Order: sequence, then structure tokens, then C-alpha cells
Amino acid sequence: MWIRDSPSLFAYWFVISVHAVGMGLLVGASVIIDLRILGVARDVPLSPLRKLYGFVWLGFWIQVISGAMLIIAYPTKAYMNWDFYLKMTLITLSVVVMRMIWKRVFSDSTLKEADMMLKGKTLAMLSLILWLGAVTSGRMLAYTATHIRYDG
Amino acid sequence: MYSAHYHLLLNHWPILGTIIALGLFLVAIFANQESLKQISLVLIVFLALMSIPAYMSGNAAQQALKDAPDLSMTMVENHQGAAFISLLFMELTGGLALLGLWRYSIPRKKGYPGARLSVGVTGIVLLFLVTTVAMMGITGNTGGNIRHPEIVTEPGAISALGTLGGKIVPMVQDFVINYSMWIWPILEDLHFIGLILLVGALGLLNIRILGFLKPLPVAALHRFVPWAIVGFAINIVTGILFFIGMPNFYTNNPDFQWKMAFMVAAGTDLLLFYCTSAFRSVADVGPGDEAPFTAKLVAASSLFLWFSLIVLGRYMPFFEVLQ
Repeated sequence: MWIRDSPSLFAYWFVISVHAVGMGLLVGASVIIDLRILGVARDVPLSPLRKLYGFVWLGFWIQVISGAMLIIAYPTKAYMNWDFYLKMTLITLSVVVMRMIWKRVFSDSTLKEADMMLKGKTLAMLSLILWLGAVTSGRMLAYTATHIRYDG
Repeated sequence: MYSAHYHLLLNHWPILGTIIALGLFLVAIFANQESLKQISLVLIVFLALMSIPAYMSGNAAQQALKDAPDLSMTMVENHQGAAFISLLFMELTGGLALLGLWRYSIPRKKGYPGARLSVGVTGIVLLFLVTTVAMMGITGNTGGNIRHPEIVTEPGAISALGTLGGKIVPMVQDFVINYSMWIWPILEDLHFIGLILLVGALGLLNIRILGFLKPLPVAALHRFVPWAIVGFAINIVTGILFFIGMPNFYTNNPDFQWKMAFMVAAGTDLLLFYCTSAFRSVADVGPGDEAPFTAKLVAASSLFLWFSLIVLGRYMPFFEVLQ
């Protein structure tokens, strides 16, 4: 309630800004990992990129917390919208795929770079598509909402 | 200071700037000086950035004048049309100049001869630049005619460029707003995808320079910068379309004005440090090496500017509500 109605700069608009910054971290870092696995910037050694996962998870938790705050502010806007469930599904799948890439590509330090790329190729492509879907469905929440508030 | 002041502050930059850039570029070509060519190209791309707020601030000037009894709306629309086509050519010229500039920034091994601008790129940039200079001249003239009767030689005369542009602008606006209720959401989505490319590609390069992920050689990360530039280009195009769609939503919004200032600053930061030979000074920072302090300062400023743009973007509707 406070998040929604407070006229303060630090309420709703702050949370939604944090949510956009967190998206930049989470999806930006993931997309870079995917692109590198798919062969972009081959001069960049692949295995050190596992450290980029720290930023992926940081972004992920920022999104969970700020996202939960947005739901608390406008519960019906989310729960009464089919697109919200699509977004949650796509995010879950995206995160699962990122974990699979971590396990299959990055956790075996004996793998050669070419093998890492080969093993991760399909997953990286899938990941890009899923993130695109997740961001798109997230953005569309604003345009598909039917019940912004209880009385709306 | 009123929003209309910004138009007076900004509107001569593209006119005089492109003339100076053209002169400089010609001198560089005849003197066959690569460093001078590089400076001309930087100036062209910078002007392409500056022309965006110059165009947009025109709406504030129009709002300020709309009740003036002697104002000719025909002339205003003619000026806006000419400005729109000029902006289009300025952005194309800027894009081509950036393409030419790119080769100077690619890290090279020691002893390798320096980069040279190819004849083809030189020619096409020159061609577009000359066209842009001419169009900016027409735009300036149609704009001056609105409020300066002392320079009008033929009363009622309007330019063909302005007439053409004056037809295109409402068409674009109609497309963005009325063609389908989904155009705006799709543009928003693209704007976010551009953001992700920018933050992902530049973020990785910047955090590496700051000292994270040290096993990565900095030079190799330069390959990701084009992805950031593509993201920036997507956001410039979609951003201009938002503005043309709902100009009055943005014009007097202080958050928007700050965002445009940050956009020019962030774009210039990207242009100067990562798209010119300046990048070569960090290119020899190999795996495990510490980047120099000045490079860290640049990386921190880049992160600050791009993340500020995200926050300013998200706060935009809030400031609209305040008005």
C-alpha cells in the first residue's frame, strides 16, 4: 500500500527503476554468456565467464525482491492477468536453462573451449529465445492489465 | 529558463557543426592525415547525438509561440518537416561516420601499421555529410523565417524539403499512435532489448576494466562493443519514434530533459573512449593485468551514465504525473 500510494520518489517508481536495473544485470549478463557460447567474440576466453554468473544471480535476486514489492503494490494487476503467468513461466524456464548451461558448460574444468561451445550451443540459443520472451511478456504486463486496482 | 530556451541553445549546433566537420574532413582528406580524419568523424557522430535534443526542443519553441498572433503555422510545420528530414540524414551520416571510426579503435598487435580510412567509406561519409550540411542550411532558414521577418526575401515562400517532411512527420505519428494499439508496446519492448544489449556488452567491458573477471583480456572484449552500439541505435530510433508519437508528453518533462542530456553524455563517452584509437591505451591490459586508473575512471563513468539513463527512463511517467 505504501509502495503504491506514497507520493515519494522512493516508492513505486523507485522499485520499478530497480526492477529495470536488475533486468539489465540479469538478462544482460545472461545474453553475453549465450552470445559468447554461440561464437561471438571468440577471442574472449570462455571459462572465466563463469564469474559473470555472480552478476546473473545478483540480478536475479534483485528481480525477485523488487518484483515481489511490485506485486504487493498492485496484486490484482498481476494475478488477474494471464500475461503475468506467462512471464513467470518464461522466467522460470530461462533461469533453469541458465543453470543447465552452468552445469554442462562451466562446471567441468577439464572441458576444452570447443567442447564447451558445442555442449552449450542449443542451450544458449534456447536461453536467448526464452529471455526475449520473458522481457517481452514483462513489458506487455503494462498493456494487458485489466484490473489495475481492486476497484478498477 | 523555459524549455523553449533549449531550442535556441541547441539549434545552431547542427548547422555550424556540420559545416566545421565538413571543412575539417576535407582538410584531413587533402592532407592525408588519419588523426584529423578521426577527429572529423568523432565530431560528426557527436553532432548526430546533439541533433536529437535540437530537434526535440523545437516542440517547446512551438508550444511557447502557439498563441502568438502573427505566427504562421504553415511556416512552423514547414520548418519541422525540414528538420525531420535533416535529422534523418544527420543520423545516417553519424552512423556511417561511426562505421568509419570503428577501424581506428580495433586493437592491433605492436608493429602493425596504423588504421587507414578506406576510399569507399571516405566517399560515402563525404557525400552524406554534404547532403546533411545543405539540409541543415534549409532547416535553419525555414526556422529563422518563423520569427525573423527581416531575413524573409519572399513572403509566404516555403521549402520543398519542408513540405515533404511536413507530410512525413504526421504519417509517422499516426503510425506510432493509431496504426495499432500494439505499436507502442512493441517499441517499448525493443527499447528494453536495446537497453539489455547496452548494459550487457558495455557492462562486461566496464567491470573488467574496474577489476572484476580479471582473467579476461580487455582487447578481446572490444568485440562486444558493436552489440552495445546496435542496442544504442535501436534505442535512438525507438526513442525518436516515442517522441514523434507523443511530443507533448515529453517536451516540458524535466526528467526527459535530463535523460537527453545524459543520453548525449553517455553516447559521447562510448564514442570517445571505446570507438576511437583511445581504446588502444587499454587494449594491452592482458589476462590478470590491472587497468590504469584513468581507464577505471572512464569505466565507472560509463556504468554510472548508462544506469542513470535506465532510472531516468523509468521515472519519466512519474514526472508526467507531477505536471
